[in-house]
Amino acid sequence: MLKVLAALAVGAVLAGVASVAVVNVAAPTAEPPNKPLYNYGDR
Amino acid sequence: MRFGPALLGLALGVLALGPALGPGFTLRYDMVFVPDPPLRLGDGFPRAVPSDQVVALLSAVIPAEIVQKAILLGLFALAASGAAALAGDALPAYGGGAGDRAGTPGAMLVPRLAAAAFYAWNAYLAQRLLIGHWALLLGYAGLPWAVRAAARGGPGRLAAALLPAAVGGFQAMLVSAVAVLPVAALRAGKGRARAALQASAVVVVLSLPWLVPALRSDAVTDPAGVAAFAPRADGPFGTLGSLLTLGGIWNSHAVVPGQGGPGLAAARLALTLVAVAGFVRLGGATRRPVWWRGLVVAACAGVLVACAGAFASGVLRELIGWWAGFGPLRDGQVYVAPFALAQAVGVAVVAAALRRNLPAPVAAAAVAVPVLVLPTFALGAFGRLGTAEYPGEWRRVQAVVNGDPAPGALLSLPWSAYRAFSWNSGRVVLDPATKMFSRPVLWDETLVVGVPGGGRIRVAAESPRIRRIEAVASALTAAGGAPHVGPPASSAADGLRREGVRYVLAAGLDENTFLSRLPGATPVYRGRELLLVRL
Repeated sequence: MLKVLAALAVGAVLAGVASVAVVNVAAPTAEPPNKPLYNYGDR
Repeated sequence: MRFGPALLGLALGVLALGPALGPGFTLRYDMVFVPDPPLRLGDGFPRAVPSDQVVALLSAVIPAEIVQKAILLGLFALAASGAAALAGDALPAYGGGAGDRAGTPGAMLVPRLAAAAFYAWNAYLAQRLLIGHWALLLGYAGLPWAVRAAARGGPGRLAAALLPAAVGGFQAMLVSAVAVLPVAALRAGKGRARAALQASAVVVVLSLPWLVPALRSDAVTDPAGVAAFAPRADGPFGTLGSLLTLGGIWNSHAVVPGQGGPGLAAARLALTLVAVAGFVRLGGATRRPVWWRGLVVAACAGVLVACAGAFASGVLRELIGWWAGFGPLRDGQVYVAPFALAQAVGVAVVAAALRRNLPAPVAAAAVAVPVLVLPTFALGAFGRLGTAEYPGEWRRVQAVVNGDPAPGALLSLPWSAYRAFSWNSGRVVLDPATKMFSRPVLWDETLVVGVPGGGRIRVAAESPRIRRIEAVASALTAAGGAPHVGPPASSAADGLRREGVRYVLAAGLDENTFLSRLPGATPVYRGRELLLVRL
């Protein structure tokens, strides 16, 4: 029983870490791919 | 030898364009070429008429990116060959009679090549290329041929010589007119008045493609543009020194890297003084060219117009406020082109003198001088020019919109004229949507120019239709997390429909927020960068 609880805890931690990693690293960046509102130029 | 100047121009073009000759499109500031451009007349001021239509026609048979590269390379060849031809007219007069060794074709080659190199490699051409004014440069490149034709007379010859400028459109034709009309009016011999009238008629007829829509348009010109587009100092010799060395463009991002360095700036100023001295000396020759006096007037007039924006801006503002037709004077630096041509001829005169007095290899070095005093124009101004491929989603959106026979305009968002796409290496470019679709495109014509110290000058949109939808379009563009400001969502969509908008194209905007502001809109394309909705 103790082993099952330990396995659940480790699994939960791994799932949490994996979720954070996917959202923050592997997923496409939330930053827009272009930069609008750019000046025509600067004097 | 006959094609030597054109080949030199091509070689200089390859050197200057460098990475811009690779696969893909060169997109920078106002230089926007798109795949399969549609043939359509825009509404508002005909800023790209007929250049865009000619590109569209050519692109129907040749891929648009090849058309672009051919135009860019052709500019250099045309400019170089024209300057050499004009110098060829001048050198016999300066060099002596037929028996003079300096007047022989072989001896004239070095001076002609020096003129070609100068005219195809200078700050004017570099800066206008870096801001993407390829249509204006068509007029610049054809200018020597137009001056020659105006001096020789004959409307057919002049019309043929002005063809590149006619394709370029309003700015190219105006710059050409500044040179052609005085040359025709002041050429030696009889019938000058008739020649001037003929030249004026040719200029007007070739200007009709943009002149008629311009006079019929209800576009207005914001006098704030005078301060925004006035020449500026791009080196240590002030605004006047920059203009005399053929630089001085208003945009600090359109100078070649290191252009402001004092050493090379001093070398360019010295070259200018030498060139002007050569041109003045040509005026004292017994058989000076018939175009000499006209070119003097054109060069002085061009420099004066350029100076007006910097030193008499109040006058320009008054003129533009009085009549929007004076608007083309606000970016006055473009009118320095005839002065560049006069300098090219002057360089040839000096090179001819060197050819007589120095060993041939030493004199031949004069050909390299224009490149040596502006070396960072090479290799696409060291990466300022490059190429990019449009992401596939741009082509798919283009196919959807152009495949829809129903009428209605397309609104391009975000509400900002210029973009810096990551797929274009962050180079600033006019919104490609303005050229991509076969229906009217509504885009933010407001020009925002940053000034030293952090301020901004806003030059208001020219088209009343754009001014009417400005508030709605700006509200739709507000950042994803920002609270909604502006008209209520339902009235925004209704307002756009009333203005005849059928599609809204949003680039890089948060989809959920955007759609919540346009209730009833139907998404017809969703991509990583682009969202297209139908109202």
